[in-house]
Amino acid sequence: MQIDSPKKLKDIQKSFTEKSSKYPKKILICCGTGCLANGAMKLVDTFRDTIKTKKIKNMSVEMVKETGCHGFCEQGPLVIIEPDGTFYTKVKAKDIDDIIEKSLKKDEIIEKLLFENPVDGNKIEKYKNISFFKHQERIALRNLGKISAYDLDEYISVEGYKALAKVLTKMKPDEVIDEITKSGLRGRGGGGFPAGRKWKSCKAIESDVRYVICNGDEGDPGAFMDRSIMEGDPHAVLEGMMIAAYAVGASQGFIYVREEYPLAVTHLEKAISDCEKVGLLGDKILGTDFSFSVKIARGAGAFVCGESSALMKSVAGEVGEPRAKYVRSVEKGLYDKPTVLNNVETYVNVPVIINKGADWYAKIGTKKSTGTKVFSLVGKVRNTGLIEVPMGITLREIIYDIGGGILDNRPFKAVQTGGPSGGCLPEAMLDLPVDFDSLTEVGSMMGSGGMIVMDDKTCIVDVAKYFLSFLVEESCGKCVPCREGLWQLHKMLEKICAGKGTMEDLDKMEKLSENIIRGSLCGLGTSGPNPLLSTLKYFKDEYIAHIKDKTCPAGVCPELITYEILDNCTGCMACISACSFDAISGKKKEIHTIDQDKCTKCGACVTVCNYDSILVS
Amino acid sequence: MIHITINGKVVECKDGEMLLSVIRRERIDVPTLCHHEAVEPSGACRLCTVEVTKPEWDGWCDYVTSCLYPAKDGLIVNTHAPKVNELRKSILDMYLARHPKSLKIKQLAADYGVLATSLETVVDGNNCILCTICTRICDHMGFSAISTVGRGHGKEVAPPLDMAPADCVGCLACAKNCPTDYIEYETGNGRLKIWNKEFEMVACTVCGKTTVTKEFAEHLSQQRDIPFEYFEKCDECHRKELSATMGKIANWEREVRS
Amino acid sequence: MNFRFIVKPELCIGCRSCELACSFTHAIENVRSLTRISPIDGGFKDLWVPVTCLQCDDAACIKSCLVDALKRNPVTGAVELNQEVCVNCMACVAACPFGCAILDTQHDMVVKCDLCGGDPACAHFCPTKALEWKPIEVKKKQAV
Repeated sequence: MQIDSPKKLKDIQKSFTEKSSKYPKKILICCGTGCLANGAMKLVDTFRDTIKTKKIKNMSVEMVKETGCHGFCEQGPLVIIEPDGTFYTKVKAKDIDDIIEKSLKKDEIIEKLLFENPVDGNKIEKYKNISFFKHQERIALRNLGKISAYDLDEYISVEGYKALAKVLTKMKPDEVIDEITKSGLRGRGGGGFPAGRKWKSCKAIESDVRYVICNGDEGDPGAFMDRSIMEGDPHAVLEGMMIAAYAVGASQGFIYVREEYPLAVTHLEKAISDCEKVGLLGDKILGTDFSFSVKIARGAGAFVCGESSALMKSVAGEVGEPRAKYVRSVEKGLYDKPTVLNNVETYVNVPVIINKGADWYAKIGTKKSTGTKVFSLVGKVRNTGLIEVPMGITLREIIYDIGGGILDNRPFKAVQTGGPSGGCLPEAMLDLPVDFDSLTEVGSMMGSGGMIVMDDKTCIVDVAKYFLSFLVEESCGKCVPCREGLWQLHKMLEKICAGKGTMEDLDKMEKLSENIIRGSLCGLGTSGPNPLLSTLKYFKDEYIAHIKDKTCPAGVCPELITYEILDNCTGCMACISACSFDAISGKKKEIHTIDQDKCTKCGACVTVCNYDSILVS
Repeated sequence: MIHITINGKVVECKDGEMLLSVIRRERIDVPTLCHHEAVEPSGACRLCTVEVTKPEWDGWCDYVTSCLYPAKDGLIVNTHAPKVNELRKSILDMYLARHPKSLKIKQLAADYGVLATSLETVVDGNNCILCTICTRICDHMGFSAISTVGRGHGKEVAPPLDMAPADCVGCLACAKNCPTDYIEYETGNGRLKIWNKEFEMVACTVCGKTTVTKEFAEHLSQQRDIPFEYFEKCDECHRKELSATMGKIANWEREVRS
Repeated sequence: MNFRFIVKPELCIGCRSCELACSFTHAIENVRSLTRISPIDGGFKDLWVPVTCLQCDDAACIKSCLVDALKRNPVTGAVELNQEVCVNCMACVAACPFGCAILDTQHDMVVKCDLCGGDPACAHFCPTKALEWKPIEVKKKQAV
């Protein structure tokens, strides 16, 4: 059926709701990449097979939904039984009969599949009561985990494409831009440039052709916000892009997705072809004069291609190198035409703003950073995963309320925000409100939303070294300060980690950083020294310990530490079998010894020792 | 026409003209390593960075590469501001660490007072400074036989898959425009070898002198509609031919007159 | 007024003043450049032909240049080579049927006659007026 009028959307919504109300219960199985890797697809198949073969009364395979990512990947595969919202974690195929018998046929809860709060050990039954979800406010992630990722009708049933219908039939392009401007929506890719202003300046340029591009080239290590959205709610991305295209007067869009995200590509392709089939993409959308088509451009996964000008070169089929941006891409972007480039998360916010109004949106978050932000919370916290929180929330709330605090009750040391080019913030900054400007002020940044929590066992110099090595690897190599300068910084950090650094190196690094920031061509270079500068600012003592005392206080840097077996060794021989280098010797029930010449300081022995008998110093 | 101020002097230029071309016209010495007039500016070497400001910017200054920064009316440019000089020094320091053997780099660095690098010298550093003048010229001439390969510190200029590039015609523009003379080639015995590809040269049918490769001559002849026989004599023999033709006419004229 | 460069070989005595004038005029940082004009033996007794660029209408050099370094000066009519743009590929040297784009090995650059931007030095220095830079009168069509 062609969807050629807003009324048809309502019809579909109605019929879908009627259809699904036939069955009282729904089984939502998370099919995000994390849960798939843990065997979610097998769960889906088993659920469907069981329901089909056993021909259970009042049940149908339609009840089983493959949803997008909940963000709570470490607990996966996740199964939610609606309408109660019973939340089952780490579900295995063998649990399925149990779930059908107890939770679907009856309303019983299966205790062992419930989520156990790592803080107090209590079992939590309902999805919404879990602290990881309780403190979140989900706008961009609104449909993730709730609807099937590739069912157009289901997306329409949750008011999908309603915002598109509204702008096409009731709003002028300028009104759309005004609404977005009023909402205060800022680019979620990291820069935080006001989306409305970007659209307005693109529209203001005289041109016959304009483009909208969606940046799905999420390159930060450990970040999977955009990936989850593209995989779990592809239609929301398309709807946001369509609204942007209508507002700026574009008729062609591109979604730039990295090759590492095959599922996102599959789901987006399906969403695009579904929309094309019913006329939601193509000519005269919803019976109006608006025409729009979308193509997927696949990137090879270079970090620098997340940078706008490099991305556009890559979309055009050239080598992904940034160009100088004295001419803005809203004027001369893709194929030298005015181009609006926004991040996935920015686009998915757009339909909600149109539906609920700019005023509603502007009330969420802080005055200068409105709305919510999705973060990928990882590292040494109890609950890791994808979270969406209102702007202005403090780091402490994120780490302790949502994240459940530091693993093993260890002391908090630092939190790294903003991806590889962000900065590390110390405990004193924990009450900092998380928004674009506050983070930049203290030497870090919002970035696309990576958040890595570190405990006292993390060596901050090692962390800076790691991020620098990432940036050295990912620098496109075009301009000298980034290519050579970051490499030199990394070399100096290696020297310090090996106990060969000098105090002059610190000054040298700071001076070099200043010139890299001033001299680099694109954002990768200008923000490249951030991990170094922020750690140097807040953790200088640790650098000095490496240089002057030749020690690594966190016990990480191999060349500055030794492993010793203490007298409380029980002689259990666990460490002997764990050591791949035959460095530990000893007899049963006798204190073992480590041959320092053979020891590679890999830490395998510490991991297996149950008696804390191995001292790292 | 608009007016900008460079180092205190008011200068007239075209709106949107790149600052570097105005600076060069004013004969102000700003170093560059990746600039070539034949191709679009790239902004890779960063040496042409200048300080720009405007009265309405409230004292705020920006540091931009002049090769890519369009002139706007009222712009105030300082080509040798302290921070600019410091940046150039730092960049040359980085260059010197990476290309310790390059005379060109040594010379330029010495001009800015950098006599030895303060950074870690790259032991196996070659003389390719990745200015990409060669690849940009090759692209611009329509061959695209070589390109940059890889990224970051390991980036290099090479033909596809490091094999003799099918699209190379042996024009030598890459080698001859390399600021550090890094690109090697061999000539002799009517042959030319570059990028591991061997070429036969067109020999003058009169004296045997060679000027360009056969592939280049054929390319020009076909693409640019130039008779191939033009390429079959060297410039000197062509001039002799011309003098003989004109000589005949002049001689006739001389005889008629006398 | 239009000027034209006129060569009369029958007047040339082969003194090579033109060469000197050219070399010095196009000197770079006080180093003489390769001359763009040379009297060459015309094959007859006491006859020299000053050979230099003919500034052809359909110039092979312009056609051969892949980087647009060669352009015709609309005022002087000369085909000028922009040294900044030139990539030294030798295409014009090879393509010119008169051999008048030449390689200056000392400066490692291709050179050709540019009519000194509209006032050729060689013509000034030619003692016998074998070379002249003369205004030409455009004949008016007579009314029938």
